[in-house]
Amino acid sequence: MAEITIDGRNLEVADGLTSLVAAEKAGISIPHFCYHPALAPEGTCRMCVVDIEGAAKPEPSCSTVIRDGMKIETRSPRVVEARRNVLEFLLADHPIDCPICDKAGECRLQDYYRDYGFFSSDFHEQKKRRSKILKIGERLILDRERCILCTRCVRFLRDVTKTGEMGVFERGDNSEIGVADGVPVATAYSGNLVDLCPVGAITDAAFRFRTRTWFLDPKPSICPFCARGCRVDVDVHPGFARYPETGGILRVRPRPDATPAGPWICDVGRYAWIEIESRRARRIVWNKGAAEAVLSGDKVFSILGAKIRALSESGRTDRLTLVLHSGLTNEEWADVKAFRDGFNPRPKIRLADPPDDGGDDFLRTAERMPNRRGAAEAGCDLQPLDPGELREDTDILFVFAGIWGDIGDLERRLEVWRTIRTKALVSPVLTASDPLFDFVFPCAIPYEKSGSYIGFDGRRREFTAVRPAPEEAESEGEILRSLLAACGLGARTPGGS
Amino acid sequence: MAEKYLTRSFDPAGPRSFKTYADTGGYSGARKALAEMTPAMVMGEVKAAHLRGRGGAGFPAGLKWGFIPQASPAPKYLCVNADEGEPGTFKDRYILAHDPHLLLEGVVIVSYAVGIHKAYVYVRGEYEELARRLEEAISEAVSQGALGENIFGSGFSLNVLVHRGAGAYICGEETALLESLEGYRGQPRLKPPFPASVGLFGNSTVINNVETLANLPGIILHGADWFLGLGKPKDGGTRLYSVSGSVVKPGVYELPTGTSLREIIFTHAGGLAPGRTLKAVIPGGLSSAILLPGEIDVAMDCDSLAAAGSMIGSAGIIVIDDGVSMKTVLDRVTKFYAHESCGQCTPCRVGTSWIRRIVRRMNGGGRRADDLDRIARLAEAMKGRTFCPFGDAAALPVLALIGKFRTELEG
Repeated sequence: MAEITIDGRNLEVADGLTSLVAAEKAGISIPHFCYHPALAPEGTCRMCVVDIEGAAKPEPSCSTVIRDGMKIETRSPRVVEARRNVLEFLLADHPIDCPICDKAGECRLQDYYRDYGFFSSDFHEQKKRRSKILKIGERLILDRERCILCTRCVRFLRDVTKTGEMGVFERGDNSEIGVADGVPVATAYSGNLVDLCPVGAITDAAFRFRTRTWFLDPKPSICPFCARGCRVDVDVHPGFARYPETGGILRVRPRPDATPAGPWICDVGRYAWIEIESRRARRIVWNKGAAEAVLSGDKVFSILGAKIRALSESGRTDRLTLVLHSGLTNEEWADVKAFRDGFNPRPKIRLADPPDDGGDDFLRTAERMPNRRGAAEAGCDLQPLDPGELREDTDILFVFAGIWGDIGDLERRLEVWRTIRTKALVSPVLTASDPLFDFVFPCAIPYEKSGSYIGFDGRRREFTAVRPAPEEAESEGEILRSLLAACGLGARTPGGS
Repeated sequence: MAEKYLTRSFDPAGPRSFKTYADTGGYSGARKALAEMTPAMVMGEVKAAHLRGRGGAGFPAGLKWGFIPQASPAPKYLCVNADEGEPGTFKDRYILAHDPHLLLEGVVIVSYAVGIHKAYVYVRGEYEELARRLEEAISEAVSQGALGENIFGSGFSLNVLVHRGAGAYICGEETALLESLEGYRGQPRLKPPFPASVGLFGNSTVINNVETLANLPGIILHGADWFLGLGKPKDGGTRLYSVSGSVVKPGVYELPTGTSLREIIFTHAGGLAPGRTLKAVIPGGLSSAILLPGEIDVAMDCDSLAAAGSMIGSAGIIVIDDGVSMKTVLDRVTKFYAHESCGQCTPCRVGTSWIRRIVRRMNGGGRRADDLDRIARLAEAMKGRTFCPFGDAAALPVLALIGKFRTELEG
């Protein structure tokens, strides 16, 4: 431990901390651009300078390790002047296009300019022109006029993903970031560059111009696209009354504590919701014969309830089969158990997940579902779905398809299941197989659920819904409870939402 | 005339071969160190000689070597800084051109003292011919047993490699030199750690200027007292002063440390061209603050020039006469630093460029009344605020020019 003084406050801090981190731990924030808590200190933006007793000049706090007895001033007149100068330098050539810049509202340059006094410009030269819309990745747009050369993007690709697609080119004030030989950023973690960029230089083609950031309401959740359990913020737009299309999920970002490796998520976790949202199922559908009929939810549940009751009356509820996926929350597994135990004999329960994709050597786990351990621990005697089975021994089949609307090879399985009398699909998205089911239920996506998962590491992670499920969609747990209730065989069992 | 050591037997015809160098006593310093002295004795002798670095910063060489951790089993490296880029400085090329073995002997001595077995000579990109000559000298020395395995039968081995830079001024900064040598973009590293602990390829590294190392054979052969006797008590030896600009005899002059600037210009370099009068002198390379004619009685050593508000730097003396406009000088100075800034840190990248653009606008007729104040303010915002000493190097000459020639610059 070391005893230090920051802005007159005596503090005892762990050895080896930098003065920036020590100050932040004491609640004193120090402005910075190039410093990032999950990257090695760079010391080049010169924004985080502080005065250290005995030092001839302000020192960058991001790279100055504390020593016992050190006295640090973070707001001395000399420090404030140095930071104003840095801002003045960074703003000299910077376009003043905040009204059309996607970063406005969460831009460090904007924030610090306000903090350091809204000084007026003393720059009377021609601003440098640089390329404005350079596509450097599938969804990454680089505006070099806005870039302040903090090199966070370069260092992330060099040190974290180790793919090294970007670098600094040219020298002095001709320095520009870019991709080598025009080869785009191809890492599966490219979206993190947008979060890392402290200004509006790297923007996200999937997000830009869709809203202003200050309208967004970040809601914490757990990423459901693999078993890593990364903590994310789902940015939800509450929607304007006169423009309902403005609502909905606009962006998914890692939370500062997303993973122990840093505030990173993969591009699947960041962008997969876009495709899912674009084909959301919203209404319950009854495919009666050739014509697709739309009925109220209650009516559909009562039709299915009657069919299950008929099985029950002849003691054949073991010919009722649920095909489930391990994206269900632990709480939903309780609903599954209650459903199963509501019948005698018990219905068959099978597990069918989309095939593992092998993951990667960073964050992506091999399994694509978030709660395989929770499913295993649910006590439902889960057996994997055998491709050939169910044809002979099932009369009523419920397929819960999970977030992708895919249990793997669904079309071929449906061929096998052609003779099964009643088939129902529960899916958050419309699928090509919808017409082959008698009933199709829209269900919630994981962000619309509250509950918990047990991730790859055996740790339980809880989350709450970021918004309600749309229209007639409900969580899989709710659907099971409604169905059980519609069978009229027992009281609705309380469970997760 | 004062005693010359470094240039005592320079041959204007070309570089001395191993044979002519050895015939005039060459390599006897290295032989003495290897045969009669322990590494600690060599280091002690150099410390006692108060040999200060000739590259610009003036850091005592013996002290620098002392920072190398001796106990570590990891390899240690020597980097010879031959990236002579400071405008007005051309002394290292003089050594490389005329007496490469003098440098190589120094390399053997420092390597023996510190326990180094691999040395790199980082040669300025423009010195293509000199790099070639140096490589020839190295193979000559290897064939004569002065480099390579088992030097002079002492059991001590040392390999020397030549690496050519690509012409960036910043690569003369020692950590940028290391980055460049490792194959990366030439820009300074964050310090600490300093190269003595984490240097080339992550290992302890000594970095010394060519002229600094060229002094070692003399110190070992004749002793620290002899060396101190040549110069000043805390700043020993002779120096190679590069004199350029408006003098009758521009060139490199070896004179004692502490020789007065006036004496160098008027006695040795022949004074100004006929009909010209002295207007200003840049005493230690472009990065040093300019001096007025009334300020040139200063002694050319580290401390005296610092006291005079300038610095000895690389001892590159640029003499400016009354025919030169200070506007031109300001133009050239600001152009150079804007061109050579590596761009890594904010104040230097933007400061040098902004100042440059103001100067260009002023010279183009678009002068604003407060431009000089603006330039001075921006220079102050760079001074002491940049990642490496480049910011100071760019700010100080500009501030001195504005301070001393404001009336002319405003006119």
